Amino acid sequence: MATKGLEQGQFLRYVRTVGMTTMRGRGFYYPIDSAMSNDGGRLYVLSRSFERAVSDSMRVTMLNEDGEYFGVFGSAGIGDGQFRWPCGIAVNDQNRVFVTDEYLNRVSVFNESGEFLKHWGSEGEMEGMLNGPSGIVFDRDNNVLIADSRNHRIQKFTSDGEFVKSFGEYGSGDGCLNLPWGLGVNQEGEIFVADWGNDRIQRFTPNGEFVAKYGSPGREEGEFTRPAGVIVNQEGYIYVADWGNERVQVLSPDGEFVQKIRGQATNSEWAEDFLGVNVEEAGARKRANLEPDIEYFNDDPHEESSHIEKLFWGPVSLMLDAEDRLFITETNRHRIQVFERDN
Amino acid sequence: MVTETKPRSLVIVQLSGGNDALNTVIPYGDGLYYDWRKEVRIEQDRVLKINNQLGLNPALKSIKNLWDHEKVAVINGVGYPEPNRSHFRSIDIWNTGESVGIGDSGWLGRALREIDPNGENPIAGVNFGKGLPRALSCRGVPVASVSDLENYGLFPDIQGERSRDLTLSAFSQIYGSAMAHDNVAQFIGQTGIDALKGADILRTAPAQYSSAIEYANNPIAQSMKSIAQVLTADIGTRVFYTQHGSFDTHAAELETHTRLWTETSDAIADFMEDMKEHNLEDDVLVLVWSEFGRRIKDNSAGTDHGSGGTAFVIGGTVNGGLYGEYPSLKESDHLEGDLHFNNDFRSIYSTIAERWLEVDPAIVSNGNYEQHEFISPLTSN
Amino acid sequence: MPESQIELIAHLARRAGFGATREELEEYGKIGYEGTVDKLLETSSPQWMSEYLIRRYHPDESSMLAGLSGLEAWLYRMITTDAPLLEKMTLFWHGIFATGYPKVLNAKPLSDQIRMFKKYAMGDFRDLLVEMARDPAMIIWLDNQQNHKDSINENFGRELLELFSMGVGNYTEDDVKECARAFTGWTIGNCEYMELRSARDSDWPYGRISWHYEFDAQDHDDGEKEFLGRKGNFNGEDIVEIICEQEATARFIARHIYHFFVADEPPVPQWPYQPPRDPEAINQIVQAYFDSNYDIKSVMKFVFNSDFFKSEDCWYEKVKSPAELVTGVMRLTESVDRPQYEHSSRQLRMQYMGQTLSNPPSVEGWDGGTTWIDTGALVERMNFASEELGKLETPGSKELFSKIAFEGNGEVEADRIIDICLKHLGTINVKDDTRSKLVDYASENGVIRVIDQEIDDVGKEKIAGVVKLIASTPEFQRA
Repeated sequence: MATKGLEQGQFLRYVRTVGMTTMRGRGFYYPIDSAMSNDGGRLYVLSRSFERAVSDSMRVTMLNEDGEYFGVFGSAGIGDGQFRWPCGIAVNDQNRVFVTDEYLNRVSVFNESGEFLKHWGSEGEMEGMLNGPSGIVFDRDNNVLIADSRNHRIQKFTSDGEFVKSFGEYGSGDGCLNLPWGLGVNQEGEIFVADWGNDRIQRFTPNGEFVAKYGSPGREEGEFTRPAGVIVNQEGYIYVADWGNERVQVLSPDGEFVQKIRGQATNSEWAEDFLGVNVEEAGARKRANLEPDIEYFNDDPHEESSHIEKLFWGPVSLMLDAEDRLFITETNRHRIQVFERDN
Repeated sequence: MVTETKPRSLVIVQLSGGNDALNTVIPYGDGLYYDWRKEVRIEQDRVLKINNQLGLNPALKSIKNLWDHEKVAVINGVGYPEPNRSHFRSIDIWNTGESVGIGDSGWLGRALREIDPNGENPIAGVNFGKGLPRALSCRGVPVASVSDLENYGLFPDIQGERSRDLTLSAFSQIYGSAMAHDNVAQFIGQTGIDALKGADILRTAPAQYSSAIEYANNPIAQSMKSIAQVLTADIGTRVFYTQHGSFDTHAAELETHTRLWTETSDAIADFMEDMKEHNLEDDVLVLVWSEFGRRIKDNSAGTDHGSGGTAFVIGGTVNGGLYGEYPSLKESDHLEGDLHFNNDFRSIYSTIAERWLEVDPAIVSNGNYEQHEFISPLTSN
Repeated sequence: MPESQIELIAHLARRAGFGATREELEEYGKIGYEGTVDKLLETSSPQWMSEYLIRRYHPDESSMLAGLSGLEAWLYRMITTDAPLLEKMTLFWHGIFATGYPKVLNAKPLSDQIRMFKKYAMGDFRDLLVEMARDPAMIIWLDNQQNHKDSINENFGRELLELFSMGVGNYTEDDVKECARAFTGWTIGNCEYMELRSARDSDWPYGRISWHYEFDAQDHDDGEKEFLGRKGNFNGEDIVEIICEQEATARFIARHIYHFFVADEPPVPQWPYQPPRDPEAINQIVQAYFDSNYDIKSVMKFVFNSDFFKSEDCWYEKVKSPAELVTGVMRLTESVDRPQYEHSSRQLRMQYMGQTLSNPPSVEGWDGGTTWIDTGALVERMNFASEELGKLETPGSKELFSKIAFEGNGEVEADRIIDICLKHLGTINVKDDTRSKLVDYASENGVIRVIDQEIDDVGKEKIAGVVKLIASTPEFQRA
């Protein structure tokens, strides 16, 4: 149970790191979200890349956690199957892959091997229209929930893109949202929203009624700075990608602080490949002190993470597998750190 | 005395990102190639052989065809002392010709200054694509950068010919009278008038052009087409610049490298065919270069930054063949895990400056460098 | 508020900022010229677009893996800041302590350097020089990591004197060596690995690693030095203290300030041979420097309130840098209220105009003045300004249309259109002949009519045409 983990001082334990930065092909380039196939055997990592980069740097990389690489799909552009500001990725019960694009205001749908099927969505404020769709998740009924960020609401659609309902409006009161980002759904179908601009997590019923809110702005335990991702495990523990604090926090099912982690990445399979070929870099890396004592310019952990490579930098998205292992995607370090339950 | 000849033009094609020389001109006859390249390699039977040791990547099929017609000089082992494996720095070195300090002018900018010391032709140097490469920059040398030839010039966004003409005419009057205000206004005014003139000349080029060649619909092919349009319009442009990429193939190299080279190679061959059609084949020279080569050993998905590259010089009067020694693949001959360069890129610049553009090679190449024979020395009159 | 006063404040806004909208100028007008100077100098808690927002929508502005990342974020700050003078001062110091990507080859340290300039831009000049000497990007840029106790590398020591403080001719070669000795051991952490990664452009395996300053006491020469006639076991801080006491330093910095804020001077290498445009102004700035004990903010306050700055003789006597032009145009459009996909292209346009921030053409920075202008750059400048300002849907354009609609129903005379547009674009004074050509254009382009307090789309297009033409005038290129 929960208290057992607490007694031992930690709830999650580091396992391994997956991935590496590359501009195209095998690797990631500013990964902004990840999803897992239904059997957990295939990871889909969405690389956001950036405006000036080559077109094929914006892509979805398919791999498994051992570093086996299955290829990529997607590229930068406005055509079918292309992205401009890709932001969220989710897999439905048919293993179809859905990608939101917060510039093109559409959702693109691919089959499990990455073939483009269709896209839907249009820009606007009316119900069913989108303005900056970011986080995406499927609920228990195989409906898709989308954080319609710049409309400050959550919208629910069928898998085919038919509008079902929306909830939330701009503000800081209960149930109000400010540029919401990541979404999670628990066993009961309750919806968890990373209420990014309000520095908190909000919990809604499956129908979108406000249930609870967790956290307040800050850097202390249980406080958040611009949370980007949230996921809930089978027991109801809430994991939060506390993006602006460059950490992941674990909350108990009723929202009490359990643990915070800052990351402890090691070399992935692909990183070892790189260092094996580029031996002078590997040598200098070995001789360097990768955890130097530094007087930082400010107290924003963003600064510390820019200097200490093993720490989370831009932890943005969370995945859980069937064994309750947590996969944390970091945009700025182009990798995924895997943690497991410590018991 | 020589008879009136057409001015010679130079076209630069930069392969940005660091082209994998080893997979471009492939030492298929050397077993070491296959030892080092376990994954990222071209099998012997697919190589387009140019002798019993070397062959071209099959993606260079169109260039191989030009090679067979002896219009291609392949320069192997190109580099410079203490090779730098940073894109930005190495491009800067190639662009300025300065490999120790930070250079303050580009080699083509210096060539243009020699050709047109008073900057009389605002379109003597034209870049096609985004931005302005440092190679063309030189104080007092006007150059134009064109991303879309047909819409090039002032106020490209004004719709309707009448509106645009009215605006341009007002512009011209304002700039004309501004010259009387003060020295700075005079300078800005004159530059504005020159810009207008250059833009007008450039924009009219496509209308005058016709050709049987159909260029492919990709950026390098379209750039080469624009170059052909300006070149055939005979409006005094001497140096053309464009680039294609990214050749930075750390991963997914085989597919990416193949695609990029197919596009580049076809575009250059179409361009040469176009020049032939316009009877300009002997008046253009194309230089293809990249800032560095890549590691000898692959990383299983691609290759990382290395040194020792390959350059191509293509043209109707080029003495086709191999120049420079192909670097050895033996481990003891490596330079920090990379191909060891054996001829300085500035030798290429020097050759082109003196033998093609007929300007002072020392100024252009930033020093004195041995010249290649891919262009025959000029015969003195 | 008489129009002449607004015009004077507009001059101040162009120099101490990036120009101002008419509304901002009228707000400034309420507190008067000196009040505006004080307001601009108050930069203790500047507000600009949230860094979190920038990082969320532009991850490359967060981790800066790619070359020159950081420029777009800086441009966002310049466009959206409520403390424009602070950004101008940062540009000013960047122009003097010009550090460039081609040698540093890591974008985050360059961005950190700009952040440091901003923090120390308007304080004690001594602090700025010491922080600059400790700055990791500067250390690599001028090879101070190779400046060792037993074998000095003079590069930083020399440039500190020649380019950053005193100017040539005011110190000896021995001073250079002694200065370099004092800065031995000022290096960056993990130097070998960081240098190697840069030299290979390595962002593997997990993106770039920031740099940090490290003082290596073992490698520092703490022996006695003789510097500018003084003797002691000087370290870098002592050297800076001595430099700042020098009249030559005061003159050099004064001329830089004059060049950047008052009127274009010739490029720096010509300074030893060409007297300043206004020697008396330089003398006064020197005096302000010493009177304030090297306090930059006090010096700037003196300059902006001085007669030589306010004099119409120096209005429009500067050619806008690309950074100033792009920023000023975007501020006028008032359209940058959140991260935008299109923002990246604005930064690129600035590059096409000939200025890539954190990538100066040489250690001497940008020459400025008419060197900004050549045919290619001028086309870019005019097209950028006219395209952005000519867009119909920006808040800035809507404001302009409503001002013209406010003229009342009926035909609006060409003369009035030009007046309103010139005021709207920051209260620009154009020469009489330019103005009459603009009026001619507006008349020829066809009448603009207000019907029911509205202007139809055809009318808006015509107004946009006028705006485009103004944005391309020689006057608009100058500040």
